[in-house]
Amino acid sequence: MDLAALKTQLKNFVQSMFEEGVLDNQFSQIQALQDSTNPNFVEEVITLFCNDAERIINEINRNLGYQNVDFSNLDSYVHQLKGSSSSIGANRLKLACANLRQASDERNKEGCLQALQLITCEYCLLRRKFQALLHLERSIVELETNQK
Amino acid sequence: MAPTSASGDQTSDKDNWDNGRLARRQQLLTKIVLRNKLKTIVFNGDTTCRVLEQVLLRSYGVQTQCVDNGRDAIALIAFGAKFNLIIIKKILPIINGLEAGNKADSLNGSGCKILGVTACSGESERQAFMAIGVDVFIEKPLDPEHLVPILRELDGE
Repeated sequence: MDLAALKTQLKNFVQSMFEEGVLDNQFSQIQALQDSTNPNFVEEVITLFCNDAERIINEINRNLGYQNVDFSNLDSYVHQLKGSSSSIGANRLKLACANLRQASDERNKEGCLQALQLITCEYCLLRRKFQALLHLERSIVELETNQK
Repeated sequence: MAPTSASGDQTSDKDNWDNGRLARRQQLLTKIVLRNKLKTIVFNGDTTCRVLEQVLLRSYGVQTQCVDNGRDAIALIAFGAKFNLIIIKKILPIINGLEAGNKADSLNGSGCKILGVTACSGESERQAFMAIGVDVFIEKPLDPEHLVPILRELDGE
């Protein structure tokens, strides 16, 4: 595939993520911050985010596994996940966090478990799409480098 | 009156990728040239956000230092580092962000602005931040829309 076609494919892919509400405008900010001084910024941030998110989701999972759930601890994790999600522009994931926050506020363990399922779902979707996005980005960089 | 609102940018996402990228960068990053060297300290326990905010600030030419816990934050300032802008989050390891912000503010002296950033901007959060005297309180993410006016103000003084 040639460079122009790849770039169009990437552009369309990101656009579809915006349209599906998976990403919001904050992600555009991140893309805008990538330049020659910071050529791999998007990839770095995505990687950082995924590491953070997985760690937090695992912690939430663990917390909800206990007989007596520590809801204030849970709250702090949800807060972090929501924060990271909004910082990277992960719109649907951020919204899913609001569900968990609510259930946690209500001390509703069953509600929390359901909300966690949704979060896990949204995160897996997002990660898959990010992987596809990065794959496209890398192909573009490779082509561009070869052309120099 | 400290504004609190989620970020929102009305620019269209249908820009062409190539030429678009530069234009979008200009649109989204509102190029400003700072006359003075501004120094910021960011208190943030969360890697993703920390990296983002650091890069955003640096793209404006602001010298930025990050600490990931409250105790280090206070230590830095206690040892004489001076900052123009302090950005704090509530949830931090070791010492809560608000406590750290409070101490930091009193140690740092005047002419410094404090910006509180949070994932959940409920009324109680807002009040907790206000109680320690933040100048601006915004909901994550930190974006140019909120940052640029603050930087301009700090630069003008």
